[in-house]
Parts: sequence; structure tokens; C-alpha cells
Amino acid sequence: MSLAEVEALVEVDGLSVDFASREGFASVVRDVSFSLRPGESLGLVGESGCGKTTTALSLLGYRRPNSRIAAGQVRFRGRDVLTLSARELRRIRGRQVALIPQNPATALTPGMRIGNQIEEAMRVHGIGGSRSERADRVHRMLEQVLLPPSARIARKYPHQLSGGQRQRVTIAMALACDPQLLVLDEPTTGLDVTTQAQILELLARLRTELRMAFLYVTHDLGVVAQICDRVGVMYAGQLVEEAPTRELFGNPRHPYTQGLIAAVPSVAAPQRDPVLLRGLLQREKLPQGCLFAPRCDFALTECWIERQSLTTASPDHRVACWRWREVSVPEVAAGRERLDRRPAPVVAEMPLIDVREIECAYEYIRPTRTARRQPLLAVREVSFYLNPRETFALVGESGSGKSTIARAIDGLLTPLAGRILCGGRDITGDVRTRPQQLRREIQMVFQDPDSSLNPRQRVSQIVGRPLEFYFGLKGESRRRRVEQLLDDVRLEPLFAGRYPDELSGGERQRVAIARALAAQPTVMLCDEVLSALDVSVQANVLELLRALQSEHEIAYLFISHDLAVVRSVAHRVGVLYRGELCEVGPVEDVFSSPFHPYTHMLLSAVPEIDITQVLLVVHTDPATSTSASRSACPFAHRCPLKVGRVCDDVEPPWQVRREGHAIRCHIPLEELTERTPQPSGRQTVE
Amino acid sequence: MTGRVGSRVPTRRLPTTLRVGGTILIGFFLVALTVPLWAPYSPVETVALPFKGASLDHPFGTDVLGRDVFTRVAYGTRIDLLLSLTSTVIAVLLGAVIGLASGYIGGWFDNVLMRAFEAIVSIPLLILALLVIAAAGPQYSGSLLLLTAVVVLVYTPRVARISRAVAVDLVTRDFLTVARSRGESTWSITRRELAPNASGVLLVEFGVRAGYAPILIGSLAFLGFGVRAPTPEWGLIISENRAALATTPVVVLAPAAVLAMLIISLNLATDGLARYLGRTAVRTP
Repeated sequence: MSLAEVEALVEVDGLSVDFASREGFASVVRDVSFSLRPGESLGLVGESGCGKTTTALSLLGYRRPNSRIAAGQVRFRGRDVLTLSARELRRIRGRQVALIPQNPATALTPGMRIGNQIEEAMRVHGIGGSRSERADRVHRMLEQVLLPPSARIARKYPHQLSGGQRQRVTIAMALACDPQLLVLDEPTTGLDVTTQAQILELLARLRTELRMAFLYVTHDLGVVAQICDRVGVMYAGQLVEEAPTRELFGNPRHPYTQGLIAAVPSVAAPQRDPVLLRGLLQREKLPQGCLFAPRCDFALTECWIERQSLTTASPDHRVACWRWREVSVPEVAAGRERLDRRPAPVVAEMPLIDVREIECAYEYIRPTRTARRQPLLAVREVSFYLNPRETFALVGESGSGKSTIARAIDGLLTPLAGRILCGGRDITGDVRTRPQQLRREIQMVFQDPDSSLNPRQRVSQIVGRPLEFYFGLKGESRRRRVEQLLDDVRLEPLFAGRYPDELSGGERQRVAIARALAAQPTVMLCDEVLSALDVSVQANVLELLRALQSEHEIAYLFISHDLAVVRSVAHRVGVLYRGELCEVGPVEDVFSSPFHPYTHMLLSAVPEIDITQVLLVVHTDPATSTSASRSACPFAHRCPLKVGRVCDDVEPPWQVRREGHAIRCHIPLEELTERTPQPSGRQTVE
Repeated sequence: MTGRVGSRVPTRRLPTTLRVGGTILIGFFLVALTVPLWAPYSPVETVALPFKGASLDHPFGTDVLGRDVFTRVAYGTRIDLLLSLTSTVIAVLLGAVIGLASGYIGGWFDNVLMRAFEAIVSIPLLILALLVIAAAGPQYSGSLLLLTAVVVLVYTPRVARISRAVAVDLVTRDFLTVARSRGESTWSITRRELAPNASGVLLVEFGVRAGYAPILIGSLAFLGFGVRAPTPEWGLIISENRAALATTPVVVLAPAAVLAMLIISLNLATDGLARYLGRTAVRTP
């Protein structure tokens, strides 16, 4: 019996969902059809706003309050869940179809012990028997998701757990009633790479053990390659391509899929030139024909007029494009070789920013009256420098102190020890004590443009204020300069009159960059500027940052947890672990063997568009050890190559491999070369 | 999915609340401006027998001294609008600046100021007002300046507390960090960054407070500490005529109804305005 003959678990048939807007209803999901067999894992990918979450939630018979199902059926084991009553839906939800939401921080009730939260699902559906049997089952669930199955952890509250642990709890909750289908809505998006690798491994194992079907919603193609059998690509509410994972990544047919795959930066192959997807999805200006036509290089007149529905390209492969036969360009998927377009940094006698052994701490609240007021160091003896027109990247997991360092340089946080020099002048200390000139030269761009732009100011005010403040520009000259700056970040002049909530995420980040540019800085501190953006938008903003660097001669301190992005943008890299640098060097040196064991761990955990890749998973949670148990090498408690007592007791030495590249580890470099090979299936760059 | 918040963009149409409230308010202003041109009688002269009921000549009846209540109420619009609007505007502006700055600065400054304001707020309105009037001394009794000052003093701490809450909510946002690291002064941050985000809250606050100001002023007049007779002021009119509540209720109820109408229209108008201006930092996803 072939797979196709197995009765489908879920059949989505012509689903269309509309959202209420001012002008009536707008289509968010358009005529989407797919099916899911028992035990199968289907990925839904696409950029934000493409309708993938809305589609996924419809499998639970859920629609958002201001939406309506315009057409279609969602049959779960033959029954249309969209027509079920609230009572019947309650019987299915959690019991047969369970949801794992994106953000475990908001998915768990803060005032309820996690054991009770897991048990609640069983109690509601009347399974698990008596109270004590249910408690046993809770422990089994915790064990299954690799949390210590003790009564102690069941009695914890969500805030006492790390992000990864919380996501394990939401997985345990979803598994509590043995559902047949799991709907996963970006379950690893907010997590660190190493934690993500752990969760992905867990999900893969659970799927083989419990034979559950997955509908996996994500924007991350690397994750899809890891966990899905089949992939559906959505664009503007339409399913544009659907194929088995191997087929989709090996032989993408739709121009959008090709663009999406090409836009993903890669840790393994940094030399690939991202073939940028032109423009952005503009919902107001969708043509009556192919929705992708405005951004498509292959669009013909007929594409603009008539929309193509999914047609079969090969037995397993469906694509919604008139010209799929012609557009299949294999080189696009493989990527083109390119010359390194990073502008060469200026070799200066004096670094622009010189950070010398700084230590930073946040204010510490005494747990008891008698406790000594001891600061908790977020950054410990960190030194590095930044040359003019250079990009220095700081990488590390959340909580590694990356942002703290940027805040110290920006003067928002005064280091407890150490010095920060700017062009030879000591600038350690609060921003208020700095001269105007210096404040202008150092500008910061934040992760979340939602929070960094004042929602009640128009773009013209946001970008215009630094002009007025630093250069005294007013009236017409200020307006002209604002337009120039908007042009610099590739935005139309008409954006000047808009408010931030009228812009998309990528546009907002551009405005934030324009505001920083307005000050004509020499250094820009970019704190995770890409992580809130879609891949294709990321590629665009990254390209913009590169261009600005050569046009305006700006040095970047680039803070990111995304190693692939760092590899494509940075000249030099510093790897941070719990506030301490463990490897510093030119980007190609850091990204090739020998690695510091932590760098190696990070690199091996990044999922790439490569279904043969095996993620290296290390089963230690960064949050399990506290600062009290700090050992001499901060990484000792998680290190797979730990030598022994020496790691706990003796500060590891900086071993200089070659000019500018140093690794801080007890293991000799020759041995590191052997024991930290280039991550699976990747060619060395040298 | 991070859907764009299209529904928050203000609509071109004015909200109904703003249109209704605004129309009534404009009516009040017209009356205040033009009353001498069309008032049938003088507000301070006896024109008929006391406590006559409503008639065509005297739509609101006549008061204890035989003055025309309609004329007195119409003239009262001037003093009530003037007093309540100026005092509330001052109180809201002052309270907003103090509250926003205090919330932004934080620390002991914020602590001391807010505890002091809480102490003031904990004193019942009228008692506080009477205390201030008593402290000012008899020479200021009934002066408009003193009454304005009383309302400002009573309202400012309340407005400040609400504004502070807005500022505290915003203080962790990165756009404030940006402004701070640019070297903006506290005043500039309060005015440019914080105030626009508080405007919705402040407008509603203004509507409620401006509506209650005539009640406060009226209560003081009622107790004999407000505007001096024979000045036509609504609270005073109600107070003077209260003896007739059982016999000719119209002379008390009509001014009371007019007062109620002012309060309602102020609330409607400011609520609608806040809605029309729309955008606040606190967004619904």
C-alpha cells in the first residue's frame, strides 16, 4: 500500500479566511487545500502575514475574533471541524488535536504550578483515572520531554523555568491526552540555537515514538528541513507550492520558493550571494492574477491577469505557477558564487572603539536583609576593539551579555571596572557626562522597532529630531534631509508623513536605521537588528547595512545570535559565553576548525537547508547552573570536551592561533583541531 | 503572525460621540458669548413674584428674589465655563508635566512626590477645598482667582498620578533610551516623547475633571464659600432656590439639568476626540 492510499487524517479543502478591516473583509487565506496523513509531518512556511498561522489554527476549529471563514472545509477524520459546536470542539481540542504555541512565556498561566497545568488537560478530558494516577502520568509526561520527573519540578511556577524548559512544559501539556495531531506554531522561534536543537530533537523523537502527525508552522526553512516530511509554501494567503522536503529544497519550482531559499543566509556556505526577492508583499496592491506577479522576474502578461491554482508538476509536487517549467533554474537554489563585497576596513593606528577589560553588572536586589550586596556580573573582563569602517560581531546565546556591552559603550550603563576608549579618549561612564559630539558619533539601533519608535510620532519627527538636535536643521532644510535619509534606507519620501503602526516590520527597522544615520555616526551599535524580521526582509536590511557601510564609512558593532548572518556581514567576531569572551578572531578563522568547544557547539546546532544534516545536541541547559557555582572556565559545566578539575580551578589561557585569532581554552590547539571538526557535511572555507 | 494594526488608523468620519458632545459644547459657548444680546431680563433684577413655576415669560420660573431663573442660568454659563475650563486646563497641563516627568525620572524623587500627592488625594475633595479657602483668608473669599487655584490644587495630584502611570509603562521602551542617549533633557523627553502618548488618557481625564469642576465650584457656592451672590452661578442658583424643591421644582431642576448637560457633553466630546486621535502606545494586538 503506497502512502497516498492511507486515509488522510486531515483534509483542508478550499479554505478561505477573511479578516474584518475598515473597508470590509480582506482575504488572509485564499483557497488553501492540503491533506495530512496519520504520523506525517507537514511544514507550512512563508513570511509573516502569509496566513500560515491562521490556516494552522483552523485545524483546531479556531478562528480569530475578527475573522470569518469565507469558504472551505477542514475535515479531521472525516468531520468538518468548522461546523462543529463549541461543545463538540472542546472534545476534540487537546484530546485529538493539540496546539504548541510560539511563545511559551505567555502560553503558560503564570500563577499555576506547571504540574497542575499539565494535569488540567487530562482532567478536562476525563482521562488518566484517579488523582494519583494522573500525578503519575504528569511525571511520565515530564520524563518524556526530558525534564527531571520529580515532584519538585511539577511544583514549580513558569517563571522559575528557562525558556527551553517552558517550551518543554507546553509540549508536555500538548502530549498529555495523546492527541493524533500536533499543531506547532513556531515552537522554537524565540529560543537560542542550542536550545532549539534540543527541542527539535525532542520533537523528532516524540513523533517516531508516539506516531503523531505534525503541522509545523515556521518561517525558518532550516528547521523545516530538520523536522518535516513535506513542505507547503504560502504567499499572501495562497499555497503556492507543496512537495516532499527533499524535492522542495532540491528542486524548487515556484519563483517565490526559490527566492525564499536563496535569501536564507548559511553558516556553511557564506559565499553564496543572496538572490534578493524584489520588493515586499503589498497587500493593498495585489493583482487579480498571480499574487506574486509584482515581485516575480518571470511574470508575463497572462500571470497578471489569471491566477494559477495548484497544479501537479510531478506525482508529489504541486505548484501554483504558469511558468514552472521554465523557471526551474537549479543555480538559483544552489546559490551563486560571489566576490566578498564587504568593504575593507580601514587599517588605523588607533581603533575607533577600544574596550578594555570591562565588567558590568545590573543592580542586585538583596534576597534577605542580611545578605551582602554582591553584584551579579553580566560581563566579565571583556576586551575588544573596533576599527573604523569595520564590522565586529558579538555572538552568543541570550543572557551572554552581548546587549550589556553595547549598552555600556552607548553610556546607558556604567561598567564597574575597565575602560572604554573612543579614538583614544576615555568615554567610560554615563551618557549624560559625554560631550554632544561623542553622543552623536555613537548611535544605537535596537532589536525591536516596535519599541524603538515612538508610536505617536510621525516618521518625519522620528528621523528629523536628531537633525534638529545635533545640527540645528529646521523647516525646509530639515524636511529635505529627512527625505534624503529615507532615500538612503530605500524608503519613499511619502513615508515621512506616516506613523510607525502604518509600516511593516522591515520598514520600521529602516526608519530606525535612518534615525541613527541622521546623526552621521562613525559607530553604529546594532543590537539584534534583524531578529524581528522575515528572512527575505533580513536579506534586504543586511544588504542595506552593507551599502551604508561603504557609502558612509560607518563601523558596526553587530550583535546577533544568528551565526549565519554574522558570517555574511562581519569582519571579525567575538564569541561570548556568560559574559566572557571565549574566542576572538577574523570571521573565517572563527568559523573554521579549530573551534573553541562553545563555538563548535553553536555552529553545530544551526539547522540548515540540508536534510542530511544531523544537529549536534548537547543535553545541558544553560539555565541549570547558577552563578554561585561558577568555575574558572565559564563553559566548563556544559563543555563536551571538559578536561577535568583544571577547567573548574584554573582560568583558561588565551591561545593565539595566528595574528588576531585567539581561543581561550585549556586544550592545546592541535588537539582542538582534531576534536572539533567542521560541523557535519560542511566544507572548510580555507 | 504580526498583523499590521490597520483597525487603529483613525477613520475619516468623526465619531458620533464627538459630534454630539461637540455640538452641545459649541451651543454652550455661543450662549456664553452672546447672552447679553438676547437675554430677556437682567440677571440681578427682580422681575416677578418669587418662586413662580415655568411659564412662557419665565421658562425656568423665578427664584427666591423674583429674578428670572432662565436669564440667570444663561449668564451663569459664562462664569461656570470660564472657571471650570481654565482651572481644569491648568490642572491637567500641570499634572501631566509633573506626573510624566516624575514617572520618567523615577527613584526617590518620584517616591517622595507621589507619596505627597497621595496624601493630598486622600483628603476628601470638599474638605481640602475648604482648608485652602480658609488658609487664604477672608479677603479672597469669593474671588475667581482663589476658586481657580482651589480647583487646580485639588485636581493636579489626581491628574499627575494617572500621567505617571502612563510614563512608568513607557519608561522601558527603547525610544526613550534613544532619546536619552541622544542627550535630550527631561523636559524635552516629557514634551516630545511622553506627552503624545499620554494625550488620549489626558483628554479623557480632562473631560471628566472639567465636568466635575462646576459641581465642586457649585458645592462651594452652596456652602457659602464660592462665588458671591448675586453673581449668577449654577451652584449658587441651585443653592439659593433649594427651599422651593418641593413647591416649584423647576427652579432647582432646570439649572441642575443644564449642569448635567455640560458634564455629559464634555465627556462625550473628549472621549470622541481621544478616539479620533486614536494612536496610543498601548496597542491591542
